Amino acid sequence: MTGGVASPAGGGRHRRVPENFRRGLLTHALLLTAAFALFGVDRTLGWIATVLNIVFLLFFFRHLAFAVSAARWAERDLDAPVIGIQTYTPSIAVLIACKDEELVVDGMVAAMLDLSYPPDRLTVVVVDDASTDGTGAKLDAWHAANPRLRVLHREPGAGGGKSGALNDALALVDAEIAVIFDADHQPESSVLRRLVRHFRDPRVGAVMGRCVVRNGVESNLASTIFIDYLSGYLVNEYGRQALFELPAYGGANCAVRTDLIRGLGGWNPHTVTEDTDLTLRLLLDGYRVRYDSTAVDFEEAVLSNSRFWRQRYRWARGHQKCLRDFWWPVLRTRHLSPMEKLETILFLWVYHVPVLCGLGLVLIGLRAFGIGGSSFIQMIALSALLFAGPFTELAVGLVLGRVSRKAVWMLVGFIPAFGMSILTASKAYFDGMWGTTYTWSKTARSGVTSAPAAPPPAMKAAA
Amino acid sequence: MTLVARRLDHALHDRARRRLVPSGTARRRQLVIVEMMLAVAGCIAGYTLFIDWARHFEVRVCEQIILAMGVDRISAALGDSFIVFGPGFEPVTAQMTGSCSILSSVLALAALAVIVLRERSQVLLGFVVASVFVLAANQVRLVLSLLAGRYFAVDALVFFHDWIGAVINFAYTLIGLLIMIGMTMYDAQRAEQDHTGRHTADRPEAWARPGLGHRVPLDDDDAPKAPKVQVAAFLHRKILPRALSVRLARRRERTRVDYRVGHENADRRAAIVRELAAKGLGVHTATLLAVATHETDIGVLDALADAVAARQWEPVANADVVALRLWARAWLMRTPAVDVDFVPESGRLIAVTGAGGPAGVAVIQALQKAGDAVLALDANPDGVGLRLATHSAVLPRADQPGYAESLLSILAEHRPGALVCTVAEEYHALTPLVGHLDELGVRTWLPDPASAETCLDKIAFATALHAAGVPHPATAWTADTAGLVPGPWVVKPARGRGSRDVVLVDNPADLPHAFFSVPGAIVQTRLAGQEFTADALVARDGRMVACVPRWRDETRGGISVRGTTFASATVTEVVAATLRAVGHSGPANVQGFVDFTGAVTIVEVNPRFSGGLPLTLAAGADVVSAYVAGILDPAAEMPGLEFQPGVRMARYFSEVFYTSSSLEMVGAAR
Repeated sequence: MTGGVASPAGGGRHRRVPENFRRGLLTHALLLTAAFALFGVDRTLGWIATVLNIVFLLFFFRHLAFAVSAARWAERDLDAPVIGIQTYTPSIAVLIACKDEELVVDGMVAAMLDLSYPPDRLTVVVVDDASTDGTGAKLDAWHAANPRLRVLHREPGAGGGKSGALNDALALVDAEIAVIFDADHQPESSVLRRLVRHFRDPRVGAVMGRCVVRNGVESNLASTIFIDYLSGYLVNEYGRQALFELPAYGGANCAVRTDLIRGLGGWNPHTVTEDTDLTLRLLLDGYRVRYDSTAVDFEEAVLSNSRFWRQRYRWARGHQKCLRDFWWPVLRTRHLSPMEKLETILFLWVYHVPVLCGLGLVLIGLRAFGIGGSSFIQMIALSALLFAGPFTELAVGLVLGRVSRKAVWMLVGFIPAFGMSILTASKAYFDGMWGTTYTWSKTARSGVTSAPAAPPPAMKAAA
Repeated sequence: MTLVARRLDHALHDRARRRLVPSGTARRRQLVIVEMMLAVAGCIAGYTLFIDWARHFEVRVCEQIILAMGVDRISAALGDSFIVFGPGFEPVTAQMTGSCSILSSVLALAALAVIVLRERSQVLLGFVVASVFVLAANQVRLVLSLLAGRYFAVDALVFFHDWIGAVINFAYTLIGLLIMIGMTMYDAQRAEQDHTGRHTADRPEAWARPGLGHRVPLDDDDAPKAPKVQVAAFLHRKILPRALSVRLARRRERTRVDYRVGHENADRRAAIVRELAAKGLGVHTATLLAVATHETDIGVLDALADAVAARQWEPVANADVVALRLWARAWLMRTPAVDVDFVPESGRLIAVTGAGGPAGVAVIQALQKAGDAVLALDANPDGVGLRLATHSAVLPRADQPGYAESLLSILAEHRPGALVCTVAEEYHALTPLVGHLDELGVRTWLPDPASAETCLDKIAFATALHAAGVPHPATAWTADTAGLVPGPWVVKPARGRGSRDVVLVDNPADLPHAFFSVPGAIVQTRLAGQEFTADALVARDGRMVACVPRWRDETRGGISVRGTTFASATVTEVVAATLRAVGHSGPANVQGFVDFTGAVTIVEVNPRFSGGLPLTLAAGADVVSAYVAGILDPAAEMPGLEFQPGVRMARYFSEVFYTSSSLEMVGAAR
């Protein structure tokens, strides 16, 4: 372990976490070697297979439970009447960080200006994070045409990535609630009222809305991601709330109390998944995150495999870091019950499961070459359960989303996607443990489905 | 508290403490866990009970396929086994084990169908089709395994069955699952979105479930098309007895939302709601419930609540009818004040100058009642209107340096849609700024500078009215002519407002002193009769669109604190003549007297809204909204405004509280 960075682990308390876990990797290797020496290769691999099977079973039932809960209740939730959204209007600051987003920024700003909320209770701040394309000029033109929109230009090298940009924007506002969107997002006009209604409960620290992919028509990959989001939000996130009250704050289309985020020292610039990081810090401080499946915004999915790889690698890298940062505080906190601690740890483990899948495949491959006991055959059947869980979630997502039947064959595309997730998560795991340098990797946009309903202001207005 | 009540309270408290009542979340979790445990138990029990039967069945099917294929060297089924002779006639017994059977796959599909997808009855057919597919696919696996043993080697049989077969097993179970899911999903006609996430159902946005599809125009090729064979329609038309078909249709109607209602206008929606409810609350329950859930028009909701309330005799058919009645109960019990106070936001920001004065406050409150946000501006940091508005700022006085720069800077920051000036003395400073205001997108409507000057200068005003023949008191503005004016007199500044420096003179000996002590004085005959003010609005083309005369029953500091609106053709005519004489357009208040003979004499015109404006607004003439509409759309024709005579006003004090260092209000009292 060399050096370390400060990672806020709840309550604004800062805990030193190491920059790498090479000793941990070495310990794993030594333990495996010792087990081979003490118990033999076949027996050791048999035990590993058994452990993997238990993990797979656990996650299968977790996915299944989420699918059951969503199938049972989520549809009625989508139709449920909303209460008191006209009368409860705390002051809101909408914060959006943009870096080289000229393809999508017009649609985003138009959607922000169309949000239904009392104008005197709403501030919209867009941060131009040292863009090198026309993003800054476009934002200035929007500002000139509509001063309700505030634009903050950051200097090159200001640092901190998205977290840094959001922290700078937060310093400009004095609203009670901060609502975060990404540059490619276009929320439905009712989204603010739907999100903030949950803050009537003082225990609620943050609220997450539902993101929907709007450019599924652009490629098969985007269409697959559209279905993935349906399942992720309508089933998985919904199930975590319904069964554990532990949905995750997702980084975009989500709201957080500004006094809490300030008290926690802002968004964490030392992680590339500041959303999961914030979720954990709120939970450890005794606050709850809520999820509203009716607070909808539309976003772009990535279109190419390389972008998909980069995006999922970032998610895996950041999420795995959160497990390393927070597993001990989660186990120690008094704000979570044992069941909630178990679910939180499983949630943090999600991006490690593909790594274990990869390990399972290695074991099966070894068996094909005669290494390992016959019990490995059972690995295949139990591994199938690991597929069955997500497929069940996907099925429920498709039914709840009332997607036409044709989409079912898109599910086949998830098999290579699972394969890719094994590779991305494994690379992220080893890179994270080894401590390779990684900084924020911006997701590229296509902008094809981002045209605003109202025409953007002429650029000359900025001049 | 009685002894019995105390003991009861103690017992209830004690019981509540001892009972471990799980939270709603824990209950949901327990329910799901129990369902999953039952599913697992069902799978285990089913496997234990039916595995032998399933193996026998599958072996028999496989035997028939082998026989049909005419393959030699593979025996008939011997119990659960086949004897296969390989290429070298080496025998091997291929036994059908439990893992070779489809039973575990079928049971897993059944469990998923029951605990996950059971809400849709289509899953039953999906399960049957998936099971048949899995059976067929496993037969392919078994037959290929036997053929591998027959034509290649015994090891090939084992390898094919254990490894390739395992992959095939995984594949066909997965495909079976996909078949079941697909058949459970919605067909294109009933789906809300397609496989790319585009909304295809054409639901009204307000009524649709949130987030079910991105709304983009669809090509004709992408729009859902009616299937060539409509099974349900065929069944209802050709197969089912008419009585049964009608009965099923009624049941379907109860649970189906009629989205067509959402496309109609509010009046039509209310009429439809009444029609649907009149058929019985149990007939179109889903549609009525959808109206209660999504409708935002108060008239439509009133219609629904009244219709539900009128059918309380109706037997309660189902839980949704109970929900409807509960909603109607709450709706009809709501606080009436909610309706009165609710003002939909216009989304406009209007700037108002002179926010500290009575006219400014009256305009601010009128705009806020119309749903506008207000940017209040005043030179006095303690101006009360600054505390009433959404945004506020302090400006230098119009006659001080820096006024223009400050005003433009503030307007550039807030970008209001319009600027309403309630201080006539600001017109001369604002007129040169009109071009800058236009560049900022701030529209305004200022009177002609010469006209405003005529109104503000009482000498020019008297001259203009005398020239136009409008009745006006005798006026003198020089010491030489002052004595020619018949008494009693009123001496006041030629440029002044709000009754400042006004001196009433009855004794001719006092007149010179009064004349020289009032700066820039004029002398007028003091009129007898009843004093009135007429709030007027003149369109840009000179047409007077509003004239609301009101008696000034009581005034304080020049402001009417008690008043009564009245209708008088003579007053209206003289007011119109006065405004024509000065060439004014925009808001104005015209002051004068009506003597005991009914003769009308005009004293002065303020080319702005008046401090007594609330009475005019209360009488029904919304001159503020009309003026703002005229600012925002100069080309639009301004309709005439009516008012109700006889409306009385009594004013009272109201307070706001604030800290000296901030413009933010800390409290308000009325």
